[in-house]
Amino acid sequence: MAALPRRIIKETQRLMQEPVPGISAVPDDSNARYFHVIVTGPEDSPFEGGLFKLELFLPEDYPMSAPKVRFITKIYHPNIDRLGRICLDILKDKWSPALQIRTVLLSIQALLSAPNPDDPLANDVAELWKVNESEAIRNAKEWTRKYAMDN
Amino acid sequence: MAASHENDSEMDCSDNEDCYEDYNDYYKDEDSDVEHVDPKKTDPEYFEYKCLSEEEVERLLNETVENLSNHLRISLPLAKVLLHSHSWNSIEVIRKYEENPQQTLISARIDPPCPPKNVIFSPTHLTCSVCVTLHHVDRFFHLSCSHMFCKDCWTMHFEVQINQGISTAISCMARDCVVLAPEDFVLKHLQHKTIIREKYQHFTFQDYVKSHPELRFCPGPNCSIIIYSKDIKAKRAFCDQCKTIFCFRCGCDYHAPTDCQVIKKWLTKCADDSETANYISAHTKDCPKCHICIEKNGGCNHMQCYKCKHDFCWMCLGDWKSHGSEYYECSRYRENPNIAHESVHAQAREALKKYLHYYERWENHSKSLKLEEQTLEKLRARINQKVMSGLGTWIDWQYLFTAANLLAKCRYTLQYTYPFAYYMDAGPRKELFEYQQAQLEAEIENLSWKIERAETTDRGDLENQMDIAEKRRTTLLKDFLDV
Repeated sequence: MAALPRRIIKETQRLMQEPVPGISAVPDDSNARYFHVIVTGPEDSPFEGGLFKLELFLPEDYPMSAPKVRFITKIYHPNIDRLGRICLDILKDKWSPALQIRTVLLSIQALLSAPNPDDPLANDVAELWKVNESEAIRNAKEWTRKYAMDN
Repeated sequence: MAASHENDSEMDCSDNEDCYEDYNDYYKDEDSDVEHVDPKKTDPEYFEYKCLSEEEVERLLNETVENLSNHLRISLPLAKVLLHSHSWNSIEVIRKYEENPQQTLISARIDPPCPPKNVIFSPTHLTCSVCVTLHHVDRFFHLSCSHMFCKDCWTMHFEVQINQGISTAISCMARDCVVLAPEDFVLKHLQHKTIIREKYQHFTFQDYVKSHPELRFCPGPNCSIIIYSKDIKAKRAFCDQCKTIFCFRCGCDYHAPTDCQVIKKWLTKCADDSETANYISAHTKDCPKCHICIEKNGGCNHMQCYKCKHDFCWMCLGDWKSHGSEYYECSRYRENPNIAHESVHAQAREALKKYLHYYERWENHSKSLKLEEQTLEKLRARINQKVMSGLGTWIDWQYLFTAANLLAKCRYTLQYTYPFAYYMDAGPRKELFEYQQAQLEAEIENLSWKIERAETTDRGDLENQMDIAEKRRTTLLKDFLDV
């Protein structure tokens, strides 16, 4: 395997030294491009109190290509599907090499605070979010309690 | 092409055409009594176009770019981006640019929406924010937005984008920056990367042709010809190289008298429905009582519904009790075939029937076209034999090929009249259309019959039939081809 680019080393160092509040990202022991991520559910959101596990992988051509990020913990959210895939513009066509792991994770945390049912990935969830927001929020809280609060 | 229309016509008139025009003049003077028919007025399918090679198109595009660049006194790459973002409409670009150059450059994503802040300090070294490496300031480059990145990062960025098939749409690396990287900037960073450079030039060329309304790639497999026409209409284009015939506007199979949207709708419908619909229509009917779909799997017309146990007649869908002893033939059906079409469910089936009526004819003519190709092959063999055994020369038999080609052309148009008729609203116009369609159909079948029996048909008779069929075809197109 090719040597780890300076950019990845620098980002990893900074993530360790000045971690982002509410977010932890730790590189895997055997693969420095694979990160174990934990995002805490933002305050005043239905995900509050939950700890959400994600995986983040930096592809070969990172930072020219976006990192691959996925929720491992089940989550009830209109922009995250059953497989944990995330619908977020900066992970797709709006990716810029100037963005970082840190900014991506912050954007994901912000997505938890502000779901966007008009650009859905999980259609059934988005639909309920639009027609009956209070019920959708109840479901989200229920899922957070069930899946994101154990250990 | 940029400055005015006069330039365009000048460009079109190559030396060859000048000669051609002299030729015409020569004949006009000599035979002034010969009436010149203007094909623009008489032939509804008349279409002026040229088959160009990639090099010729590149020259044409470059000329357009140069003219614009000279006219507006802007750089060539800039002119290219402007043209690409304005569908190669020089007049439009000039109008907008002269009105508000700044706004034009912003909306073409050449300049950033807000002017960049001036960097006052000028250090000798900078850290590239992408690779986080300290480099000498000489290694940094930026677009009009002033976002600085090192040379290696730019190169890598372009490589990744190009490998994803992106070319004219590659933007600056900075976050949320919309400024596009013009061709010269990209190429400058790919100096030693021959393969990726070629890829990039290939993709940009494709983008330019696709954004140019007067150009269309020939859809023929592995064909590199590009059709060029000032007449942006759904007309028949014929590729000189691979002989593909297609519609200039949509690039699909030529489809007169049907228009591009309708033929697309029709083909999608056929792809979705036909197989299942065919089977349902051919083998099933709905139970007249409970409307369940029933497939007839035996010969007897006395049916008993599996679900509601209703006894009925397959032919007229009436109650079996009223049939008595008439077993093999239903006389009620003979008296009133409409009897089966009264329920709401039957209406849906009626719609399907209507579709199948048109679809079957459409399919049938398509099959006939293929069969007639075989006839032509046989014809070729027979003529070969005749010529070899001394019965006439090649030239004597050429008229048969002309006839077979004309037949194919007529039948092709006939095939495409069916989707047209399917989507037409009922009324006198549709009646007229279907009348003309029937006339054309009859003449085509006559022609086909005569070609198959070419050796026994009188040549004059055949040529007369050819003339009639083609007249019917043009008449129909003249009245209904609206492009």
